[in-house]
Amino acid sequence: MSAASDPLFEGARLVITSGAGGVGKTTTAAALALESARSGRRTAVLTIDPARRLANALGLEAFHDHAQRVEGAGPLWAMMLDMRTTADAMVRRFSPDEAAARRILDNPYYGAFSTSLAGTQEYMAVEQVHALVRSGDYDLVVLDTPPAVHAIDFLTAPDRILGALDNRAVNWLYKPRDAGEHGQPQGYGARLLGRGRQVVLKSLDRFTGGPFFEDLASFLQAFSALFEAFRQSSRAVQALLRADSTRFLVVTAPYPGTVREAIGFRAELVTRGFPFAGFVCNRVHDARPAASLEALASALGPNAPAHLAEALATALADHNRMAARDADGLAVLRQVDARPVRVVPLMPEDVHDLEGLSRVGRALMQNFSSADTF
Amino acid sequence: MTVPLSAALFDRRFVLVTGKGGVGKSTVSALLAAQSGARGRRTLVCELNAQERIPAIFGRAPVGSVVTPLRENVWGVNIQPGPALEEYAEMKLKVRAVARLVFDNPFVQRFMQLVPGMNDLLMLGKAFNHERELDTQGRPLWDTVIVDAPATGHGVTFFRLPKVIRDHVPVGNMHEEARDMWALLTDPARTATHLVSLPEELPVQETRELARTLFGPEMGLPPGALWLNQVPTPLFDAAGEARVREGAPPDATPALQAAFDVSQIRLGREGQARAYQAALEGLGLPLVALPLLYSRELGPAQLDALLAAARAQGVP
Repeated sequence: MSAASDPLFEGARLVITSGAGGVGKTTTAAALALESARSGRRTAVLTIDPARRLANALGLEAFHDHAQRVEGAGPLWAMMLDMRTTADAMVRRFSPDEAAARRILDNPYYGAFSTSLAGTQEYMAVEQVHALVRSGDYDLVVLDTPPAVHAIDFLTAPDRILGALDNRAVNWLYKPRDAGEHGQPQGYGARLLGRGRQVVLKSLDRFTGGPFFEDLASFLQAFSALFEAFRQSSRAVQALLRADSTRFLVVTAPYPGTVREAIGFRAELVTRGFPFAGFVCNRVHDARPAASLEALASALGPNAPAHLAEALATALADHNRMAARDADGLAVLRQVDARPVRVVPLMPEDVHDLEGLSRVGRALMQNFSSADTF
Repeated sequence: MTVPLSAALFDRRFVLVTGKGGVGKSTVSALLAAQSGARGRRTLVCELNAQERIPAIFGRAPVGSVVTPLRENVWGVNIQPGPALEEYAEMKLKVRAVARLVFDNPFVQRFMQLVPGMNDLLMLGKAFNHERELDTQGRPLWDTVIVDAPATGHGVTFFRLPKVIRDHVPVGNMHEEARDMWALLTDPARTATHLVSLPEELPVQETRELARTLFGPEMGLPPGALWLNQVPTPLFDAAGEARVREGAPPDATPALQAAFDVSQIRLGREGQARAYQAALEGLGLPLVALPLLYSRELGPAQLDALLAAARAQGVP
């Protein structure tokens, strides 16, 4: 079945591959983007990983933070999220004026931490994707997410950032120490918190060495000028992630522990109302006919090299043992979700070029037609 | 060229294991723990806020954040950032009620969540404290502490964190902790950082980058061994391989055809593995190849098979 009628792509604007590390997420994202582009859609694939893995498979020397056209693959563009550039652009976009932007960009904490504040990478990835989707330059955007222990780390990043940028929180921490209890957040709960404030701040000073938290707070206060713009953008991003035109694929391998993790990912997505669109299972050994050593030896005939029959029998038995394990893994996935699992068989070699990527793409599209419902 | 494996490497007290996601860090952490325990060293193996894998390799149920025996001389723990923070805060602020007042404060919690790598630092700090832990006679409680560290990318940030904190926070408890942690991480007498990889293109590429970053001049961590996981053992001799590459005879039975097909896949992966192993030997790290076992499970029997294979390559 071709990508033209695959229900994954029908009515889709954004496809997101998520999953634990080492399961072929990046390759899956690239292969899907390639299939989409080959069916004529203007497609962009965005990777977060600074490693050159996706670039190499697409025949590019390296990725840049602007879209690069991939040759020989239909209307396909690839790009990588450059943390610092994206962060700077975001500060400029959301700042009311150049002076406000400069206050942030020149802050030493921004320099040290703009690319490593917890959740910023994930936040910027969805921001960037939002910009790509909104631009209207592409029919489909494919996003390869950073490997995570929990799918939720990625999806809740905007909330985490917004929680810390909340004016009340920043004012509470940043208010000059000698200003007494005036200017406290209002309300009963807030007053209660206010009472312990001096104790808390003094203890924190001991814990962190004083200036650390104060400096961080002053940085966050500068940042909080952007808060309202941030929040609106975050709402739009959240809406995009939950839109009907967005599809989350959970990528996995058929090993027992990995399958458990994938099922956990799906549960987190479904519980929070993100549009889960099925599992992809990479590196699957398909079951082959079994045969005894005697049967293989006799089928091979008398002129075969010595011990070849034994080696063939071992190879076949090893393969089928792995196939049985993989079938168990697939059965568990199918129990959890009724949609067909997109199965990619184990290949003799890793994907390292467009041809290999096409093989994966074709496997991903197999057994799907527009008759399948989502 | 191959670098010989030094037995002294396995006398280090603080052992970190890192690599790309899915390459078998937990397997190698478990193997190092079994190896250390078998030599009579009291060994603690730590997972960091993980979906626990190591206890299962020892045939045990998940252990959570409580130090739990896994086999003779081997204990396991899954360090959690929440309890680690509480413990640390109590240690530093002395009074439990004050610690609670500070760290249960919702505003403080929001900031803590945002402070770069705070969770990672806390978990590394907890592992670090295990290294310093003393028994009732004042001797070190653990002879070996093994840390199954986060995956590449994230992993480099994780290792760099104590240095960043040390350089950016000028004074105070956090500065002192970070300074001491960095001193331990970079001390070749006490610490070794092992890398884990697979004989596949992308893991090998990332391993090369990781080795350059961690062991290069910027960070200067003392290197351990490079563990190449899931290396297929050659199955065919030269004549057999040549025949498999020719393909099955035209009148082959379906089973014989299948045997030739899977053997060709296997030869492809063997050849690929050899090329990647050769590429990694150029890194100047001692290399231990762990065989692909073609087993349905990864439990105590497989762990011991891997340990035997490692010993055959000079691991004490």
